[in-house]
Amino acid sequence: MATIPDTPTAAVEIHGLHAAYQRQPVLEDINLTFPAGLWTAIVGPNGAGKSTLFHVLTGNMKPLRGTVHAFGHPIAEHRRAGHIAYMAQREAIEWDFPVSVWETVMGGRFGHMRRDAWWRRYMPARWYHPRHGDAVRDALAAVDMLGFSDRPIGALSGGQKKRVLLARALAQQARILLLDEPLAGVDPPSEQLILDVLRGEREQGKTVIMVTHDMPSARRYVDHVVLINRVIRGAGRPDDMLSDAKLAALAIARVESTAREMAPAASPLSTALDR
Amino acid sequence: MIELLDAFGTALVNGLMNALMVVVNLLPDTLSDAFQYRFMQRALLTSVMVGAICGLLSCYVVLKRWSLLGDAISHAVLPGVAIAYLLGWPFFIGAFITGALTSIGIGAIERHTRIKSDAAMGLMFTAAFALGIVIISKIASSTHLMHILFGNVLGVRESALLLTLVASIIALLAVWLFFRPLLLYAFDPQQAQALGFNTSVIHYGLILLLTLTIVASLETVGIILVVAMLITPGATAHLLTDRFRTMMLISVSVGVSSAVVGLWLSAMLDVASGGTIVLVATGWFFMALLLSPKYGVLARQWRRWRMG
Repeated sequence: MATIPDTPTAAVEIHGLHAAYQRQPVLEDINLTFPAGLWTAIVGPNGAGKSTLFHVLTGNMKPLRGTVHAFGHPIAEHRRAGHIAYMAQREAIEWDFPVSVWETVMGGRFGHMRRDAWWRRYMPARWYHPRHGDAVRDALAAVDMLGFSDRPIGALSGGQKKRVLLARALAQQARILLLDEPLAGVDPPSEQLILDVLRGEREQGKTVIMVTHDMPSARRYVDHVVLINRVIRGAGRPDDMLSDAKLAALAIARVESTAREMAPAASPLSTALDR
Repeated sequence: MIELLDAFGTALVNGLMNALMVVVNLLPDTLSDAFQYRFMQRALLTSVMVGAICGLLSCYVVLKRWSLLGDAISHAVLPGVAIAYLLGWPFFIGAFITGALTSIGIGAIERHTRIKSDAAMGLMFTAAFALGIVIISKIASSTHLMHILFGNVLGVRESALLLTLVASIIALLAVWLFFRPLLLYAFDPQQAQALGFNTSVIHYGLILLLTLTIVASLETVGIILVVAMLITPGATAHLLTDRFRTMMLISVSVGVSSAVVGLWLSAMLDVASGGTIVLVATGWFFMALLLSPKYGVLARQWRRWRMG
């Protein structure tokens, strides 16, 4: 396991955050710090507000109240500076959109292109600054998808789609990576590859924050765990947070608070809890 | 100053029409004969431009699943046109105001009530349309209403032609200048927002472009049939390619060729030009549906048959 600095600085600081969908509270009074340079797992049952938290961080949802800072500045500034990369769940994207794998990953560079010379901004792909192509190539190589560059994204398998989405986040070369269930629904080789890539990012000093239901991987890889179910139920080292008692308490909280939204199929979390 | 602009506009239109006629005159006489009249030349130039910008915008409409929204905006434009006519404003300003108000209203109903988006759209645009019909019935004749609803391309005046030209140039420029934000927004709006793009500006910018296109198409196909020109070319192109730029190219070609062939056929057969243009576009769509090498019905059957 990677060493943890004694006094980690905060990559993301959340104060007094409340969020709701149509007056239905999803997040209540969230006070939370994501340590810089560490790999954090956000764990919670379905409907616990994990994706909502990411929607707030990415600016896709306005919170009712509360502030979010990254490295001491309002997070919107970091978004515009391209410091925050986001990997959505696979369902968030139209896979029959007419773009290739390469073009999709290049999308992760569109934010940085605002800082290119003015004339490049209005030119087609062959006039992009070479550094964008390099970043895309590196990212695709890292997830072992370089050979698929020209494929339409609709022709990929489930695990390959996940890897392309990860590559798009990597290509941004951001300081903070937000990953919404990067391990859900992938084949075992893809899962191992994704975990290795994320460990590599963390070793380069990036802050990695992922939502996951995969307890074995979380125990094995991450430095920091946040338990969430509409409110923060705990934050700390994986050994402490992912104990059977803590997870069971989180599951009971789910039965009380979100029983109606429970998915009928057993999620990886509930199977992990059943053991 | 205004006279100078007017003269410039007229010169530009004449130049464009002369250039177009050079191309048309290359065709066999049986085809080009219809276009020897000045009103046919004006109709042709307008149709070509409308086909091009509708084809361009229809890529976004189809990929963003905005077909119903396009329908809604096109209907909502009617009261704006009527009010602008009353006040002596340019059509576009009134049309944009009511188009934008309607789309904001749709969004508000969707977000703040339990009504779903399709009902919200249906409700708002029919209400706006009804308002438009009521106003027009008071101030203008029913032929005027028919022309707005179904187009009157053979009677296109020079001022309308100029409006279409300006709208086409603005739409082209906007798509070119904001190509990447528009592409990212159409593909994955959440990602666009995470990268710091202002997605509500892009959203309303795209609605503005749609309204502009609809107003520009008013005299050619009318506000009812313009919806077809905003859906069919993009849908046809989507069946034929997996590349966005190629899709735009095909879509614009489908739009322009439908406009030209439809106009010619309507002159030959002496039938309504707006309807004929849309029918030609629909013909293209069914040909693509049948014959597309990858997504066509025949190719699919062939693959199934070969697999046993």
